[in-house]
Amino acid sequence: MKRLCASLLVGSIALAAFCSTAVAETIKVGVIATFSGPNAIWGKQFQEAIQVYVAQHGKEVAGNTVEFVYKDVGGPNPDASKAAAQELLIREGVKYLAGFDFTPNALAVAPLITQAKVPAVIFNSATSAINKQSEFFVRTSFTLWQVTVPAAHWAASNGAKKIVTAVSDYNPGVDAENAFVSAFEEKGGTVVEKIRMPLQTTDFAPFLQRIKSSGADTVFAFLPAGPATFAFTKAYNENGLKQAGINFIGTGETDESTLDALGDQAIGLTTAQHYSAVHDSELNKAFRAKHAEMFPKSTLNPASVGAYDGVHLIYKLIEAAGTDGSEAIEAAKGLSWESPRGPVSIDPASRHVIQNVYIRRVERDGSRLVNREFDVIESVPDLGFSR
Amino acid sequence: MSANSTIAAARPQIRGAATFLPPIILLAGAFVAFWLFPYDLGFMTRILIMMVFVLSFDLILGYAGIATLGHAAMYGCGAYAAGLFAIHVSADPLLGLAIGAAAGALIALVSGLLLMRAHGLSLLMLSIAVTMVLQETASKARGITGGADGLTGISMGPVLGIFEFDFIGKTAFWYAFCVLFVILLVLRVVVASPFGLALRGIKDSPSRMRAIGTPLYRRKVAAYVLGGAIAGIAGALTAQITSLVSIEAFNFALSAEVMVMLVLGGAGRLYGALIGTLVFMTVHHIAAGIDPFNWLFVIGFMVLAVVFFLPEGLISLPKRLMRLD
Repeated sequence: MKRLCASLLVGSIALAAFCSTAVAETIKVGVIATFSGPNAIWGKQFQEAIQVYVAQHGKEVAGNTVEFVYKDVGGPNPDASKAAAQELLIREGVKYLAGFDFTPNALAVAPLITQAKVPAVIFNSATSAINKQSEFFVRTSFTLWQVTVPAAHWAASNGAKKIVTAVSDYNPGVDAENAFVSAFEEKGGTVVEKIRMPLQTTDFAPFLQRIKSSGADTVFAFLPAGPATFAFTKAYNENGLKQAGINFIGTGETDESTLDALGDQAIGLTTAQHYSAVHDSELNKAFRAKHAEMFPKSTLNPASVGAYDGVHLIYKLIEAAGTDGSEAIEAAKGLSWESPRGPVSIDPASRHVIQNVYIRRVERDGSRLVNREFDVIESVPDLGFSR
Repeated sequence: MSANSTIAAARPQIRGAATFLPPIILLAGAFVAFWLFPYDLGFMTRILIMMVFVLSFDLILGYAGIATLGHAAMYGCGAYAAGLFAIHVSADPLLGLAIGAAAGALIALVSGLLLMRAHGLSLLMLSIAVTMVLQETASKARGITGGADGLTGISMGPVLGIFEFDFIGKTAFWYAFCVLFVILLVLRVVVASPFGLALRGIKDSPSRMRAIGTPLYRRKVAAYVLGGAIAGIAGALTAQITSLVSIEAFNFALSAEVMVMLVLGGAGRLYGALIGTLVFMTVHHIAAGIDPFNWLFVIGFMVLAVVFFLPEGLISLPKRLMRLD
């Protein structure tokens, strides 16, 4: 039975190899993300952006039809992610993997994609170290160092002298703290206190009291978007930090998917991030218009642009290399294009996107809150890769 | 005395065809599954591991009647112990399993000494608390565990020095199956032993068991430690096969899901645990494949229906059907 099964597999692999030399075929792309449970927003944003891109550019690439196969892993779950990747690679015969919202989910597939020589395009996971785990990872989102260091430099050159960092006590938070502190001190600033707050807490009053009495002029915060940010910004206002002249600088706290829920208390929050839904460019306007037409109740956020550019990248790789994974990765290195977020390119060393980081301020635009860009740090690579 | 007579009554039950038939069916099932679904080995391996985990919980909840919501504590400890062992000491999978079992047993012993003094709601709460403490510890000890990014760099040697872990997951499947099979056989002996009967007695009537001189607390701690060791093995299996451990191994949802699977299949029956896991994970997989957004409805409805119509779980279905005639 084992032998029969083995020959079956060998046969199908041979068949697949034969097919890849044929002219036109269906190329499958496996999307591994969270589509259910409390983190389902990731999968939803990914899928919408993919559909918008396909609606704008069609399914045909160089004579091939591209088909997306979605796999739900229900949150940070490396076991499910690995099994899903195995299934996609072996049964569905996907030639590209994509998605990946949480870092462990991406890390779990690293040995598989290396063995199978299948490129995996990361739409979100923001830990620098992921791309070191396999030559076949390419990332179109951002890394914590990439947005945090510009935030620190901008703060230092815009009057911040003494700073407090307040981060959620988990890996991304600690990463952000390290990045900010090292970049800020490099510019001659002083870090008066480093506060790590429990990930689960929603009572931030004591922390904000500490920030207030620390004598700092700016607070750098890193929290997961959602309830934690809501509670933190609320406490920031209620404890009178704004009136006391303590400025706020963050990164992804004012994510568009939760921005309206933050309400007017969010107005004036300054953040450094690679994409704002209201980025002023023709391409982004077209993206937004198409998205609004197809998904009127939804909104664009950095996860959307990660997926949109990810699909663009996959299309370009199929054009350049078809289904040959190793060749595709080579083709990805150095590739540059115009994205809804601005000009981007793939760094050949880290296989991560080089992009502009924008300094934005939350403003009210009609009935909605938006991240209005007012300053830019151009062509930032993944600053955490060599650490 | 009465314990002895129950043993005598129970003994004949495990003789004859009933002794050998279920393991043979299980073995045949594994071969058929392996042959029919060669592309789903990754998923089927997850089912096998989860079966080991649910079996360990069956011993605690189903047999000893100890309701906890923190069974992931032992699973996670086993996973981290096996992962760290593979990285720093030896890549041998079986040694890793032993380490995972030891870690699961140890944490079960330490926490069990406290937990087994509690009952009902306070036991539920305390068991959740233990898991949360462990999760927070794993999250903070970044230097050792990798924190929220997960423990990476696990690479396993061949099983028994012969069978390399392959890309398709054949070795992983048979490895997990063999572990499940051995654990099932061990548990069959355990639940039919005087110790197993004492656990049932504790579940059905603690006061009577105390009256006949059974040391309740010690028996419960022993059951908890044994269940913990097996849960540790399940965790170790995951760590070895996924080559990654994340703090989600301590997730509350995992503890809750294990309970759902067990209740679905039939608590207090070893094969109930297996059936519950198989049905839950298969339905989950298929429903999530058809509709990645709303599959939870299907699961919820299924659990509701089973609890309502088959309170003893899916394993009681044939008996129920026969009674209808």
